[in-house]
Amino acid sequence: MAQKRLMQGNEAVAEGAIAAGMTFFAGYPITPASEVLQYLVRRPEVRAIQFEDEISSVCALVGASLAGAKAMTATSGPGFSLMQEGIGLGHMMETPFVIVDVQRVGPSTGMPTLPAQGDVMQAAYGSHGDYFPIVFYPNSVQELYEYTIHAFNAAEESQSPVILLSDGYLGHLYETIEMKRNARLRKRKRPPLGVGGRHFTGLTSVDNTPTPQNPEAHRRMIARLQAKQRKVGARYAHYEYISNRKADTLVVCFGSLSRAVMPLADRYAIFRPILLYPPIEEFSEIAKRYKKVVVVEMNAGQYVRVVQRLMRRTALSLPMIGGDLDVLRLEERLKWITTAS
Amino acid sequence: MDYDSFLRTDRLPTSWCAGCGNGTVLRAIIEAAHRLGWDASNTVAVSGIGCSGRTAGYFSFDSIHAVHGRAVPVAEGIKLHRPELNVILVSGDGDLCGIGGNHLLHAARRDTNLNVVLVDNEIYGMTGGQTAPTTPLGTKTITAPDGAWEKPFNVQGVIKAHGAFYARSTTWHVRHLAKCLDAAFRHPGFAFVDAKSQCTSNYGRRLGYRTAYDMLEHFKTAYRINDGAQTLADDEIGITA
Repeated sequence: MAQKRLMQGNEAVAEGAIAAGMTFFAGYPITPASEVLQYLVRRPEVRAIQFEDEISSVCALVGASLAGAKAMTATSGPGFSLMQEGIGLGHMMETPFVIVDVQRVGPSTGMPTLPAQGDVMQAAYGSHGDYFPIVFYPNSVQELYEYTIHAFNAAEESQSPVILLSDGYLGHLYETIEMKRNARLRKRKRPPLGVGGRHFTGLTSVDNTPTPQNPEAHRRMIARLQAKQRKVGARYAHYEYISNRKADTLVVCFGSLSRAVMPLADRYAIFRPILLYPPIEEFSEIAKRYKKVVVVEMNAGQYVRVVQRLMRRTALSLPMIGGDLDVLRLEERLKWITTAS
Repeated sequence: MDYDSFLRTDRLPTSWCAGCGNGTVLRAIIEAAHRLGWDASNTVAVSGIGCSGRTAGYFSFDSIHAVHGRAVPVAEGIKLHRPELNVILVSGDGDLCGIGGNHLLHAARRDTNLNVVLVDNEIYGMTGGQTAPTTPLGTKTITAPDGAWEKPFNVQGVIKAHGAFYARSTTWHVRHLAKCLDAAFRHPGFAFVDAKSQCTSNYGRRLGYRTAYDMLEHFKTAYRINDGAQTLADDEIGITA
């Protein structure tokens, strides 16, 4: 049974989280993500708390998750920056929860109401040290709903914080979606707090005991975490690929910007990763079929580095910064970059 | 009573220096928890970063060692999701009053039912003896060689301003400390115990105290008990009204 509803992107995230079994939400108001918190405080099945900042919000998720809750927060760039230490803690303590980042133009306060994709790098490398997050970036209200559920499942499977990227355009976009009932949900592997004898720490540790000066233990831990994240990430290697035998150029795009690229499928082949990290390995095979690869993104060129690493060759970077999703300008610039190079 | 059942005995001895006050506070908490029938099935310990931040990990309860300054919001997440769990939070003055000061005042305002024990040694001990938010005016530290020039953090004011439970004691006044903890643990909202404690290695010895006992003797003479007061003066300890 599926129910159809007209819904805003941020609301779809909230509904997806409820469908995924979320019971705890902590957040701080920020444009353009506030609607998630506003929507959830009205839902009796969720304990939604407005905290004093994003630091406390993400740390409350760590506590609530260890206490057994499926937990989530939603924020935008400035808040996402503040959350990085809590994300690192979540990876170290192997605590599942979901962070939604509705991106806006940065750095700093930037242009709060306009969309951007400037947190693509921060989503994977924002916290200090080595960690290997699973990061999704849908491109429609329907997908926001579905990938919020996937994000919760991936968090449980990997026992780690999973990041769902959105942007100011998607978050405020209204579309009709189908809300699938009875989605397959992953259960918590670890018994909640109240067992005894377990120590959850940000320190490198072995068997519940910190070992802060044991390089071998640290190497083993990082190798185990990396292997686990890769394994779970591979189960969610979702992408959209529109092949084009006549085209010599493959355009890589994601999120709201990909909606503007899709109408150009007559001229270009299009690859849209929905899972941004761990990067989708199959891409390297797909890219071989095209002479040129253009990565178009609403930042100065972030994911292009990931794409180049996957292909082991140079890609063209087409930055579309400034927060204005101008389809004609995009078309013009794509034409220019593919003919000029 | 059986102290060992409350301890991760496999982790002993602790990482603390000889003469440190953390063990005294740990023992007092165990006794208070024992009296109330708190055990690993219904209790969780949380700490932040620092010497006293290691306290949580020595309990046999499930324990969390959060990042610096964030013990309070982690504990709030636990308590808000599972109100039936008793949450004991032990951390230092740098963690709770410095980097975590904002969380502290908001948790007091929200009146979340947490039991927060501040081990206040007036110094950043683990990192070598830098000025803390609670370092008294004029006291010399390695980052204030001419003496601390800022007024110390008024933790009593912050907690009491929001109507939360506040008690102060010291590691010399162990029976009084136990009484404060007992009252705090029974309090149905946000409860805060300010336990003045000694750091000999990176504080006391530089101020002319030869031993930990000298520092404890200072507590003995410097503080007098005044339970039931509306507000405690700087030289008073007690459970405030």
